[in-house]
Amino acid sequence: MSITISRISKSFSRYPALNGVNLEIETGELIALLGPSGSGKTTLLRVIAGLEFPDDGGSVRFGGRDVTGLSAYKRRAGFVFQHYALFSHLNVFENIAFPFRVLPRRERPPEADIRRRVSELLGAVQLAGFEKRLPPRLSGGQRQRVAFARALAIEPEVLLLDEPFGALDARVRKDLRRWLRDFHERIKRTTLFVTHDQDEAFEVADRVVLIDKGVIQQTGTPAEVRARPVNDFVRGFLDLPPRQNIGKSFFIRNEPATARTSPPAQPLAHDTQVCAGS
Amino acid sequence: MAGVSTINLHNPVPLSATAESSVAKTVLVGLTLVFFSLFLFLPLAVVFQEAFSKGGAAFFRAFGDPYTRHAIWLTLLVAAIAVPMNTIFGLAAAWSLTRFRFQGRWFLITLIDLPLWVSPVIGGLIYVLVFGAKGWFGHWLMDRDIRIIFAVPGIVLATVFVTFPFVARGLIPLMEAQGIQEEEAALTLGANGWQIFLRVTLPKIKWGLLYGVILCNARAMGEFGAVSVVSGHIRGKTNTLPLHIEILYNEYQFAAAFAVASLLALLALITLFLKTHAEWRAERQLHESSR
Amino acid sequence: MNPRSQTKCRRHALPGLGLTLGFSVVYLSLIVLIPFSALFLKTASGGWSHFWETITSARVVASYAVSFGISFIAALVNGIFGVIAAWVLVRYRFPGRRVLDALVDLPFALPTAVAGIALTALYAPNHWIGKLLKPLGVEVAFTRIGIFMALTFIGLPFVVRTVQPVIQDLAVEVEEAAACLGANRWDTFRRVIFPALLPSILTGITLAYGRAVGEYGSVVFISGNLPFKTEITPLMIITKLEQYDYTGASAIGLVMLAASFAILIVSNGLQAWNSKRLGIS
Repeated sequence: MSITISRISKSFSRYPALNGVNLEIETGELIALLGPSGSGKTTLLRVIAGLEFPDDGGSVRFGGRDVTGLSAYKRRAGFVFQHYALFSHLNVFENIAFPFRVLPRRERPPEADIRRRVSELLGAVQLAGFEKRLPPRLSGGQRQRVAFARALAIEPEVLLLDEPFGALDARVRKDLRRWLRDFHERIKRTTLFVTHDQDEAFEVADRVVLIDKGVIQQTGTPAEVRARPVNDFVRGFLDLPPRQNIGKSFFIRNEPATARTSPPAQPLAHDTQVCAGS
Repeated sequence: MAGVSTINLHNPVPLSATAESSVAKTVLVGLTLVFFSLFLFLPLAVVFQEAFSKGGAAFFRAFGDPYTRHAIWLTLLVAAIAVPMNTIFGLAAAWSLTRFRFQGRWFLITLIDLPLWVSPVIGGLIYVLVFGAKGWFGHWLMDRDIRIIFAVPGIVLATVFVTFPFVARGLIPLMEAQGIQEEEAALTLGANGWQIFLRVTLPKIKWGLLYGVILCNARAMGEFGAVSVVSGHIRGKTNTLPLHIEILYNEYQFAAAFAVASLLALLALITLFLKTHAEWRAERQLHESSR
Repeated sequence: MNPRSQTKCRRHALPGLGLTLGFSVVYLSLIVLIPFSALFLKTASGGWSHFWETITSARVVASYAVSFGISFIAALVNGIFGVIAAWVLVRYRFPGRRVLDALVDLPFALPTAVAGIALTALYAPNHWIGKLLKPLGVEVAFTRIGIFMALTFIGLPFVVRTVQPVIQDLAVEVEEAAACLGANRWDTFRRVIFPALLPSILTGITLAYGRAVGEYGSVVFISGNLPFKTEITPLMIITKLEQYDYTGASAIGLVMLAASFAILIVSNGLQAWNSKRLGIS
């Protein structure tokens, strides 16, 4: 399911969180929305989910279908919250079964089916056997995986993750990053995740979208973005060396303002891909 | 570790850096106990002591009086109407105030606190001004022989006025602290408004709700000032328990007055017990879900 | 498109705003706003001179002294003893502490009429305390002292409950630091603890005052309602109503409302100051 975002703007009492954002996401892509706090990345994710509505004029399309006016519960976008938002009064089984329980009566599957589906989902996130546990008794990483399983229960075409590993400690984060990458390979669902951690974005995503002050600064594969940062924000945020005027060969013609090439770059110590690619 | 000074050989009890001397402690505890005795224990004790001052038989006889029975029934009726009404209001107001931000929100919040600030007598006065004989609708009502003031509907109205803040105030801080993440999650999982409220919100707020309902009920059954203004004090018709106590007292039937009062005092004690428990459970639930 | 333009009707994702807000507003309009407007309109319909006469008549003015004056003293007394009680309840451990803590809310839970007759009986010359005070020539029932007792009772929980959480949140390290710097316990209290508690104490006193000013049930029994001596202002409203002087009753009601409003503003201001001091947003 592709996602098309056009001219999305969103203000919170005169504070413009998003300003004319346009973005195209192909089916099956794993996209990172990367930016500092307050850049608008979470707002954008929530607009896509239907948890916020954009100001007049913008639109969100899922696979060509206009969902801008649809409420979240009609969009079938799976959303995983930064702090998991598990239902603390329900055990793991009931949390994941929730979407089935709220289906209208005619569509609701029989109890045996629900049980089967929940077991499958728990297996997919490697939490088989945890059905009866209550959320306060789970570790952060376990809660995160339950939140995943729950979001997957609605069989979403689109997965939206809000800083999914932000509240976890470093080692768990590393494991879960790998797990997310593998998971995505397996299920191949269009996935969009928000992060302020560039290592995470670059390690996991197919494409990175850099956003600051409500405006998309650059999109591209991790390699492209590293090799050809388009402005000072991107350069600064990714810790790339500043654009240097010295070293520009006499034969390189003046580039137009929008597409700047960095001078023949020194191989960045921690990124062999750039060396190999560009 | 709180600073413990070296043990003084002459004063073998080490004095912690953050504690008063035992003399000071005794004085403070003593003052507190005197204060509480004077203003809490003794008045409570007097109620029960006077109730039984003429013996147990007289105590139970007080409840055989038909006017007393009617007063009990009326009090229960008024509470049975006012408390559910205000509970629904409390839930609605709390939902709109804690799940959304909108213009004029502060005005709504202030308005909800209003009855706690004005004298209960004013709470009765305003309804007399609207429905009383010389009030706005006075003639209109008299023509149709509908009685609001000096009848049960007026009592219900006055009671609703003085008790509507309690449920809302029990819920608002709780729901504010809980945040809306779980509700938003339910929304993304396909739940509609009622499902979100019944399956996600209600289980989380049940102790706060109970707390508010308990307080609302206690106030509804015990309200005196506002009801006194609208009731007309008609024996057997428009006397709630507190008003009935006043009548008995003014007629020097002290034992009977205190017997009935002891019933309300017992209700107060039960209220305190239930409220404390509900408060504790609500806090525990909030603490657990935010871990 | 101007990104700063506000959409007229901001849509919210969570459902239910329209229903719940609409219901709340209608409910409040019917129960509060419309009846209160009657208060204003009725007073206005009586004309200015009648209004002024009523609220400045000797008997009513005497009731102001009683209601507003004695409430103030009661609130102050609650301020002093309330702080002590709050301190004892938070910092000390002794058997029955939990029960005592729960009982603090008794004046909230006990019907005012019950409190009224209990206090009257307690201070009657032939009862427990009245008997003790009689030989001293002190009369409590049917005097202003009795009113003071009732109003102190009614305001008791306000100071205690407002100060308790602040004491609970006091960082022990601050007191330890003071001790390390050479302050004895009294100095620490005077210079470190008390200033930290002051905003909440003032808030509690204001709340107690606001409640006491409007109190009716617990006071009318013990006061004896002697004109010019022990009549409280709410009683004046009832007296006017009994005489079918609706405009007079509304006039006095308006005065009380204005006073309550002023106290509310002061209290909100103090609470804001309190929050700022504690660093709560």
